[in-house]
Amino acid sequence: MRGKSWIGWLIVGILVLGACQQPAAPSPTPTAAPPPAAPTAVPSPSPAAPAKPVTLKVLIVDYVKDKTDKWLENEVAPAFKQKYPNVNVEFIYVNWGTLDETIQGYFAAGEGADILNLGSEYIAEYGDRLAPLNRYLGPDAWPEIKQFIPATLETVTWKGEIRGLPWLVAPRAYMCRTDLLKEAGIERAPRTFKEAIEQARKTTIIEGNALKRAGIVTTGKLDDWQEYIALIWALGGEIYKPNGEPAFDSPQAKAALKFMYDRRRAVYPDETVADLPPATGSRLADGTAVCIWGNLWGAPDVKDPIWEKIEFVPGLTDPENFPNSKPVVQVFTDWLAVAGYSKNVEIAAEFLKFLGSAENLNRYNRDFGSFPPRKDAQTGYVQEAKPMITMAQLMAEYGRGFADIRETAKFREILQKQMSAYFTDQQDLDTTLKNIQEQYTQVLREAGRLP
Amino acid sequence: MEPYRYTLLWAAGTVLFIFISSVALGAIARGIAQRCGYSRNRLEDVFAGYAFAAPWIVGFVLFVVAPVLTSLYWSLTIYRLPNPPVFVGLANYAKLLFRDPDFRAALLNTLYIAVFGVPAQLVVALALAILLNQRVRGEGFYRTAFYLPVLLGTNAAVLLSWVFMFNANTGFLNQILRLIARAFPPFQELLRLFIFIVESTNAAFLGIQTGNFTLFQRVWQAGLPSPERVPLWLENPLWLKAAIILLLVWSCGNMMLIYLAALNSVPPEFYEAAQVDGAGPWQRFRYITLPLISPATFYNLVVGLIAVLQLFEQPYVLLRDRPTLAQSGYTVVYYLWRATFRFNEIGYGAAISWILTLLILIVTLVQFRLERRWVHYDL
Repeated sequence: MRGKSWIGWLIVGILVLGACQQPAAPSPTPTAAPPPAAPTAVPSPSPAAPAKPVTLKVLIVDYVKDKTDKWLENEVAPAFKQKYPNVNVEFIYVNWGTLDETIQGYFAAGEGADILNLGSEYIAEYGDRLAPLNRYLGPDAWPEIKQFIPATLETVTWKGEIRGLPWLVAPRAYMCRTDLLKEAGIERAPRTFKEAIEQARKTTIIEGNALKRAGIVTTGKLDDWQEYIALIWALGGEIYKPNGEPAFDSPQAKAALKFMYDRRRAVYPDETVADLPPATGSRLADGTAVCIWGNLWGAPDVKDPIWEKIEFVPGLTDPENFPNSKPVVQVFTDWLAVAGYSKNVEIAAEFLKFLGSAENLNRYNRDFGSFPPRKDAQTGYVQEAKPMITMAQLMAEYGRGFADIRETAKFREILQKQMSAYFTDQQDLDTTLKNIQEQYTQVLREAGRLP
Repeated sequence: MEPYRYTLLWAAGTVLFIFISSVALGAIARGIAQRCGYSRNRLEDVFAGYAFAAPWIVGFVLFVVAPVLTSLYWSLTIYRLPNPPVFVGLANYAKLLFRDPDFRAALLNTLYIAVFGVPAQLVVALALAILLNQRVRGEGFYRTAFYLPVLLGTNAAVLLSWVFMFNANTGFLNQILRLIARAFPPFQELLRLFIFIVESTNAAFLGIQTGNFTLFQRVWQAGLPSPERVPLWLENPLWLKAAIILLLVWSCGNMMLIYLAALNSVPPEFYEAAQVDGAGPWQRFRYITLPLISPATFYNLVVGLIAVLQLFEQPYVLLRDRPTLAQSGYTVVYYLWRATFRFNEIGYGAAISWILTLLILIVTLVQFRLERRWVHYDL
């Protein structure tokens, strides 16, 4: 029964994400607790079965090698073929570094994978070029859609039409090894900017001008643009002003970036320190990182006993300078969309329904270390594994969806370039923020998003 | 339709198209020749000649001339897929040349790699060729070993291996450098000097690119690095271009082969005569070898510069997982790819390709202009 109570936390957590997104469609009524729906193994037979052989191509970016990919190929595709003998499902695997150009190439050519795995913030970028799916996935056509958490459906809805199916929910928080903190004389994981810098400095170990242990690890060299956005939010700031202009001229944007610079200097006293060797597993588990910011993919396996020594912190704040600051757990809802150019929209929608069954989503998300976006799929590991329970609780209290990022690809490049220039001492803080503000404004203007 | 039938239909259609276009081109050529008053026999020759050359001519027009002209037109438009192109004249060129700091950075990066990379390739290729030109045991093995990188190519698998070798902390390259530095302290001093030179040069270069010399001042004030320092190949903007240059040098096997052939063609009696006149090894190299292999040097220089100006694979693979540092390693072709395929800005990408074409043309023309001063074709 203890686990059941956490389902409520989880559902509430994911629900609050919806409040932070720009509603693109009429919001479905929030549900406080999961209805007692039975897990769905296989959807009911559909008249969509094609008469001629069809190959359905599915582009996948969220997968664990030799785990989720094998499951998709060896179990999902054959099971779907059993239901639709004329349909072969082929999976194309890409990584996040190549996703944008692959998809852009497909759209430019007007052909490519039928189903596209997209990230949380992609709807504004690709919404117009994806097939509208209300007639296949809307509540009238597929009642099971009501099982999906409303906030996750908002992530995939554009101009009133569902454009895909949510298939994972991944929150990001800070996780710290308490035993390693104690070794450095620190009693608890940091909560504030000041504590985080102090902790990073005290727990980092450098030998021979190379890192042996990093006080904090995010992605790259502590220059994660998504964390920067989470920190701005945590200080009470936004990345857009009410008139749609970027808000990188705000005090929150400045304080967050300054903090990231200072924290980087706490780990890398200068830019000549060699980084940690490539990770061969979880850095928290092998002790090369004392704290990490991320989701549970980069963390130890949820069953690892090391979790007894790991403390979760939802986010970092700066109450001294920003009294209204509140931790933010950034939540990503990745999804599967059907491309507008696809000649197999109907059968692709059938495949989404099939893959989106409660059982399939539970199985996939278990392997991936994320949360299923369906309420009736929040079973098993979600209720049993301590890290999942804790994450669910944090998400409930501090969650904010990572969505509505305009002109994502260019925005990401601008941030990465400018942050790198600042962090490597090529330019100062004010110049960096000025450049971000000007360049992003220009991009939004060229894209017709600003007058 | 069955896929194989579809393929067969296309193949048949292609053959038919080639046949019809060949006959048509031959007929057009004959018609023109007839107007020019050619004899009947000559007209048949004209017809046959153009008909048989037609597959190549048609292919050239369809797959080279037409895309070139199309890209020229697109370069004068704002063409952001999926929207149709809108004619804007020279706006793309003006933006590239005067208002796009990233393109300027890419251009300067490319020139940097060309200025330092190509001479480094030439020197190493020549040194290897001279070594391999000595009659030693296992000569074939050494030749194969040094040519192997060319055979392996710069494909993704090889470049990814380099990514691991370039790891600053535990990578193969730095482990070797650490080992040698510990065993031979003088090498450590050389390594420190090398690190200082690379970092200060690159910091100055970045300063020129951005107009901010803070980083250069820091590097300069810090002076020689600590003895524990190692190169930070893919971790620091001061080292990215050095890593790319190292990869270029590693794959200089083709240049080495050209040099080897050139060295073999130098008549041995020239060396014998010089030796009799009292010339030492350096003098023989300076006054006999270098001038006589200058055509090979010229060829390597022209081909090497063109290749470097079109550099893409190395930055593409090496910088993929380092987006925050990528800007300091952008090359013009990488920037072209980024505009065209990442952001779908076809018109802008086409303008970049035309500027690159002009750049290559100018660089090559300058080289041919200077060729007369230092290249000796006569023995």
